[in-house]
Amino acid sequence: MEKKELPTVVKKKISSDRCVVTGKGNWYFPLSDIYETPDNFTILIDMPGASIENINIDLQDNELVVNGEVSQEAYTDERVIYNEYNIGHYHRHFVISDAINRDKIEAKMSDGVLSLILPKAAHVKPRKIEVKAE
Amino acid sequence: MGLIKWEKPDPLDNLTHIQREMSDLFDFLSSTPQMEGYVDVEYPPIIVSMNGESVFVRAELPGIKASDLDIQVVNDILTIKGERKLTLDPAKVSYLRRERDYGTFARSIVLPEKVDTEKVTASYKNGVLTVNLPTAPESKPRQVVIKKS
Repeated sequence: MEKKELPTVVKKKISSDRCVVTGKGNWYFPLSDIYETPDNFTILIDMPGASIENINIDLQDNELVVNGEVSQEAYTDERVIYNEYNIGHYHRHFVISDAINRDKIEAKMSDGVLSLILPKAAHVKPRKIEVKAE
Repeated sequence: MGLIKWEKPDPLDNLTHIQREMSDLFDFLSSTPQMEGYVDVEYPPIIVSMNGESVFVRAELPGIKASDLDIQVVNDILTIKGERKLTLDPAKVSYLRRERDYGTFARSIVLPEKVDTEKVTASYKNGVLTVNLPTAPESKPRQVVIKKS
């Protein structure tokens, strides 16, 4: 794989002119990747600063809602003198179809990246059809 | 720009269409950028803070192995180098959406105070790197006692 330099990162704030923001603090759209393998769909979401206990994943009807709260406690006794990024909570939701086996959705969190593994339902998995000899 | 339902051509409809296009254009031109403030920041973006004891440099670096980070302090310059790797082979999966970026990075910053380079520690938790740089004794405020003569 070729080497690439300098990743870019943009924190998009969830502004109140586009949706209703409830809850304290600022909310951001975390960046995410979605990819497909023969058996699963995987969603990777960057949520730096959110610890595993502060992540909530809800599945309501067709919507998968991911919320992550970030604590700013570490800064209470400190004076910030230079600031290049904003800290806030994360919210993002995904609409999923019947092609997902909802009972078997798995979530893992490591190093600030949440991975959601959505297994495909049996009826959409690729199936090999054997040709029988007569 | 939103999707517009196709309807039977009617000159008045056309007018509302143009009106809508224009209002979208004005919205676009007058909208403030989604990101607040900082546009051309280097990677990783950092926050520098202080308390009486130490200077703290924090950076959001989700999904990086601690072994892929290289942190050095020379005099009063802190250098953070590393690589954010793709964890999977892009040829083996098909991406439906791709927003998370990857690549190598390096940046150096001049620290606001003299630090004790021997005592610098770094931790990486929940995707956030924290470098704790204790300030050198000579830059800490010292109480000067006035001797009675």
